[in-house]
Amino acid sequence: MHADPRYGAEVLRRFRELPGAGEVLGDEGVIRARADAADDGACVVLSLRTARGVVVEARFRAYGCPYFIAAASWLTERLRGASRNELAEWDWREAADALEIPPSRFGRLITLQDAARAAAAAWPGEIAAAV
Amino acid sequence: METIYLDSAATTPVDPRVAEEMLACMGPAADFANASSVSHGPGRRASARIEAARSAVAALAGAAPEQIVWTSGATEANNLAIFGAARFHRSKGAHIVTSRTEHPSVLDPCRRLEREGFEVSYLRPGPDGIVEPPQVEAALRADTILVSLMHVNNETGVIQDVGEVGRVCRARGVLLHVDAAQSAGKLGLDVVRDRIDLLAVTAHKLNGPKGVGALCVRREPRLGLVPLLYGGGQERGLRSGTLPTHQIAGFGAACRIAAAEMTEEAARVTHLRNRLWSALSTLPGILLNGSEHRRAPGILNVSIPGVEGESLLLALSDLAVSSGSACATLRGEPSYVLRALGRSEQLAQGSLRISLGRYTTADDVERAAMRIRAEVGRLRAIAPPMAAAAG
Repeated sequence: MHADPRYGAEVLRRFRELPGAGEVLGDEGVIRARADAADDGACVVLSLRTARGVVVEARFRAYGCPYFIAAASWLTERLRGASRNELAEWDWREAADALEIPPSRFGRLITLQDAARAAAAAWPGEIAAAV
Repeated sequence: METIYLDSAATTPVDPRVAEEMLACMGPAADFANASSVSHGPGRRASARIEAARSAVAALAGAAPEQIVWTSGATEANNLAIFGAARFHRSKGAHIVTSRTEHPSVLDPCRRLEREGFEVSYLRPGPDGIVEPPQVEAALRADTILVSLMHVNNETGVIQDVGEVGRVCRARGVLLHVDAAQSAGKLGLDVVRDRIDLLAVTAHKLNGPKGVGALCVRREPRLGLVPLLYGGGQERGLRSGTLPTHQIAGFGAACRIAAAEMTEEAARVTHLRNRLWSALSTLPGILLNGSEHRRAPGILNVSIPGVEGESLLLALSDLAVSSGSACATLRGEPSYVLRALGRSEQLAQGSLRISLGRYTTADDVERAAMRIRAEVGRLRAIAPPMAAAAG
């Protein structure tokens, strides 16, 4: 893949290497949460393994633009060690800042926030969110 | 890794033989003079080069040299044809017929004319991208003055039956304008046989220079146009401005080369395009956009469900290809051409236009097919199940 000045280095690295892509296997302590963008078909599935009240493993599947895929990858690392409350309160602007995502693409990041909140709602012991 | 250029429908590199012709008009010892300055030798030599090029462009269109009006490209030629004909013939009527899949250089002038009081019918092609001549005939009214239809679509490569549309228009006394930017030099053109009144062509799609094109205007009977530019009265008053001798000479050379090599080159490029489609067609769910059989040699347009266009373009950054995705269009919307063919927004987003040209090799095509298959597989592997099946 060639360098492309429209995307930052970290977006390009994550898009190229896709760290965190895939699914957490098994069922015990595993949350799966999906969110779909209303307009452009972008969607993400987060799968998180929880233990001792925090996320211990996180993976993603995503369909969307390179920024969206890179942000989903970034989120899987950000969520490791997060509690249910941190998950519920996670704000998409964190990913926007970390990856220097242009404002025109902010709308898609809200879909990631929706997925994080759906995962919080599906936390073991909470009401399960549909995937 | 070197980029494989597969965007010949966007533009083509200047053929070295064309560049040589252009250089002969550019140095201090070259034929650089103003072609209007026929009172001295250098001016007359520049003028001779212009006229030789005029003959070459005319020959490619099956026209007479005096029918050619130089422009800055197909956009200006389309604008001159549409504005010029509509405004000149307004006393006869104010209705225009075109299609929804025309180039913006046709659609935008039509929209502008609507604001001037003209009425425009935008025909919807079938799912194969073809506007059938009976559709055109049915859209004609007593006050229709102009039909504008492209010969080859710049996104899908679909070929319209402009000959039959020309017959329909001529029988009803309606002018026919054809945007031939994608077909000139690749398919046979004959404005007399096909009863085309106005034909727009450009140099840079046939390995000529950017910044020069032509409008071929019917002479018998004489067709009136209102000019867009006023000034020195060049081009019989239809297009004022000093003629760019080097660009026009290059355009002429490009037309001579294209005419001489068209049959062989069309067969070679068609063969490569078919090989590419053969290699891609086994990708699950892939769809060919536009008619499989009525298409220009070098253009292949596919939609690939389960991959988003911008991501696919970035993943394929070692291939110079185009996409119908919103990020790839200046207007920030998915391809209106593919949407007019009935493709969903997601399929328009996940589309690729791969266009081959004079310098495309079999190795380019094989490597491109391999790269596209690999990246589609990689992106589909990370897509949520429903997205991978979407379309």
